[in-house]
Amino acid sequence: MAMKRQRRESENPTLDMTAMIDVVFQLLIFFIVTLKQEDIMSRLVATRPAADPHARPEKQPDLINITVHRGGFILRGTPVTYEGLDRQVQRYATLSKTANVIIRCTKDSPHRYLVQALDICNKHGMVNLSIFSM
Amino acid sequence: MDMTPMIDVTFQLIIFFVVTIKFTENANPDIVLEDGKHGEIITAENQSKQTFTIEVSHKGRVSINNATCTMARLEELVKYRYSRYGSFPVMIRADYRTPHDYVRRVMDVCTRNGVWRVGFLAVQERKVKNAPRPK
Repeated sequence: MAMKRQRRESENPTLDMTAMIDVVFQLLIFFIVTLKQEDIMSRLVATRPAADPHARPEKQPDLINITVHRGGFILRGTPVTYEGLDRQVQRYATLSKTANVIIRCTKDSPHRYLVQALDICNKHGMVNLSIFSM
Repeated sequence: MDMTPMIDVTFQLIIFFVVTIKFTENANPDIVLEDGKHGEIITAENQSKQTFTIEVSHKGRVSINNATCTMARLEELVKYRYSRYGSFPVMIRADYRTPHDYVRRVMDVCTRNGVWRVGFLAVQERKVKNAPRPK
C-alpha cells in the first residue's frame, strides 16, 4: 500500500516556480530603475590648417569665408542670421560641394556658433572645412 | 527561514554590477553641448578606440574624463599618443558657452603635435529628460 501511494505522487510532480519568479522580478525592477537613455551624439570634423594662430589664409576665388563672432555670423563681409547662413551655404553647395569653407572665429565667440556653422556645412555636404582662430 | 533565494538574488546583482561597472563613463557633467543634427552619428562601432576626447568647460577648465588637465600635461599626452599611434582622432567636447579662445588653445596643442583634424561633439538627438540644454 505504501509503495503504491508513493508512485502515484511521483507521477505528477509539481515544480516550485516561486524562487524563479522572485529572481526574474528582481532583475526586471533593477533594469527598469537603472535604465538611463543616453543622448545620441554626433561628430563635426574640421581641419585646422595652421598651428600659428595669426596665420591668414591666402585669398582664393572659391573660398567661402564665414566669420564667427560674439553676436553671430558674417558671411563674405555681410552679417547673416542662422537661417540666412543656412540658405547661403545651401546655394554655394549647389555650385560646388568641394569649395573651401573657412570658418574664422574671434576669441570671444561662443563655441555654439562654431558648432552651428559646422553643422550647417555638414547639412549641405560641404567637405573642405577649416577653422582659423583670430 | 530559507535564505537560499535571497542569496541567489544578491549574488546575481553583485555579478551584474561587477560586469557593468566598466561601462559607466565619467565625462564632465557640467558641459552642455550644442545641437548638431547633421553631423556624423557616433556609435560604438564607428568610434575609434584611439579617440582622444578633451573636455573644455565654459570657464575654460580643460579635462580628460573629468580629471583636470593643465595645458602642459595635455601637450605631453598628445605628444606621447602621436609618437605611439601616429595621427589619432581628437574630439573636443566643449560647452556651448565656451569662448573660442579656450577651444583655440586646445586645438593649438593638437596642431603643434601633428593632429590637424579635430572633431567637435554635438548632440544629434536629446533623449535624457530634464537635462540642461543650450538656451
